[in-house]
Amino acid sequence: MVNAIKGLFISCDVPMAQFIASLNASLPPSQKFIIHMLDNTHMFVQAHAGEMIRNKISEFRDLNSYEKPA
Amino acid sequence: MPQVKIVPKNFMDMVAALPASKLDSLYTNTFFCEAVLRSLPPVSKMYVLRMLYIDAAVSAKLMQEWVLPDSFSKHKAAIDRLLQLRVFTESIDSGTLSREPMPSSVTVRLPTLEELDAYALQQWECFLLQLINSSLVERPTNFSPSMMKVFQRGLITTRDNEAPKLTENGFRFLLMETHTQLWYIMREYISTSEGRGMDTAELISFLLELSFHVTGEAYNMNTLTEVQQIAIKDLATLGLVKLQQGRKESWFIPTKLATNLSVSLSDSSSRKEGFVVVETNFRLYAYSTSKLHCEILRLFCRIEYQLPNLIVGAITKESLYTAFDNGITSEQIILFLQQHAHPRVAQKAPAVPENVTDQIRLWETDLNRVEMNLAHFYEDFPSMDIYEAACDYARELGGFLWEDSKKMRLIVRGEMHEEMKDFLRRQK
Repeated sequence: MVNAIKGLFISCDVPMAQFIASLNASLPPSQKFIIHMLDNTHMFVQAHAGEMIRNKISEFRDLNSYEKPA
Repeated sequence: MPQVKIVPKNFMDMVAALPASKLDSLYTNTFFCEAVLRSLPPVSKMYVLRMLYIDAAVSAKLMQEWVLPDSFSKHKAAIDRLLQLRVFTESIDSGTLSREPMPSSVTVRLPTLEELDAYALQQWECFLLQLINSSLVERPTNFSPSMMKVFQRGLITTRDNEAPKLTENGFRFLLMETHTQLWYIMREYISTSEGRGMDTAELISFLLELSFHVTGEAYNMNTLTEVQQIAIKDLATLGLVKLQQGRKESWFIPTKLATNLSVSLSDSSSRKEGFVVVETNFRLYAYSTSKLHCEILRLFCRIEYQLPNLIVGAITKESLYTAFDNGITSEQIILFLQQHAHPRVAQKAPAVPENVTDQIRLWETDLNRVEMNLAHFYEDFPSMDIYEAACDYARELGGFLWEDSKKMRLIVRGEMHEEMKDFLRRQK
C-alpha cells in the first residue's frame, strides 16, 4: 500500500541546501522540519517550515550587507 | 531546376519580413536589387519595369485598369508581393483636414518648435509627478481630483492613514516609454469619457485627427465642437496641445506629443535625448533637471547628490533590493538605463557596462535561490511496475517533481494528489 506524505519539495543550490540542513540540525528534535534529504540539491520538508526557511535565508543574506551611515 | 527556385523564394520571404528601415538600406546594393527583381513573379517584374522611370505616385486604380478582369487575382498577388518587399510603398492621400492653419496675417507670436517641445515636456512631467506624488508638484494641474483618481487607479494604492504608495504596475508604468505612458493615460481618459458626457467615438476620432495636424501650426478654436472644446482643455494640461489667446480668438497648437499619437501606434520612433551615464563602478550620473527623473532614479538607486543640472547616484544592493521588493524586475531597470543612455555613452557598445547589468541580474537571482513547491511524497510501492506507471502518470499530469527509482520513491505536486490517489487505487 503506497504511503503518501504531504510536505514541501525544496530545490536549490548546494550551499543553500547545506544552510538549510544546518538550520535543521540546530533545532531541537521536536522542531526538526526536514522529512527526507533527497540529494545534495533537493529535500522534502514539512509544509509549515517554508516561511521560516525563507526568513532565515533573508537574515543570512542581510548579514553580508553594509549600509553606509546616512 | 525546381529545387533551385525554392531557395530564393524562402530567402525573399525572410527579406520581406525584415523591418522597413533595414530593407531600405539593403536596396542601396545593386546586386540585391537585381536579386529581388529576379525573384519577383512575372507580373510584378513587368510592373516594376514599367514604373522604373516614373517619379510620381501612380494611383492603384490606374494600375488596375492595365489588367483584364479575370486576371485580377494575379494582379493583386503581384502588387502584394511588391508592397511586402517595399519595392512599392503606398502613399496614402489622407483625408484633408477640415480646418486650415492660421493665416500668417494675424499678428500673434507663435511659439517656436523648441519652445513647444519644452512646453509639452514640462506639462507631461508635471502631470506625471502629480500622478505619483502630489506633494512634489509646485503647480497642480487643473484635472479634477476624481480624474486623477481614475488615472491613478491601478498605479497607486491609497490607504487612508498612509501616504499614497506606488503599486507594482505603477513602477512599471514609470519606467515605460513616453508614448506607452501616453497611450495608457489616453485609454483611461477615453474609457471614462462616457461618464463625463463626452461621446467616446467622437473623442477617439478627434484624437486621431489631431495626430495628423502639423506640429507648430496654430488652429482656430472655433472650429471645434463642444465635446472637442472640453477635450482640448484636458489635452492642454497633458501637454498635447498649447492653448494661446489671441485678441479676438483663441488658438490651439498641437505639440509633438499629439502628432506622435498615431505614429506610436506601430513603432517607437521618437527618441528623447538620453541623460544617464552609468559607470563600471556602479555610479550613476544623470544630466537632468527634472524632478520626475529624480523620482524614477530614486526607485532603484541611492541618490547621493542633487546638483542644479546633475543627479549623482549609486546602484547598490540595498537600493536594488528595495526595487525588487516593489515588483520591478532587473530587465525593466536595465532597459530603462539603456534607453535613456546619454548620447556620449550611447555610441559605445554596450551603453551600460556589462558588469553592472550582470550584477543587477545576479542580485535579482540571489533573491530566488530556493524554489519551494507544495508536494506529496510517495513511497512503499508494492512493485516496480506500479512505481513506473505512477511516474509516467505523474509526468503526463505535469506534476512530476522528483523520483528515486532505486528506492521507489516519487514526489508529485500537491495539486495532483487527488488524481494520484485515484490512479493508485485503480492499480489494485
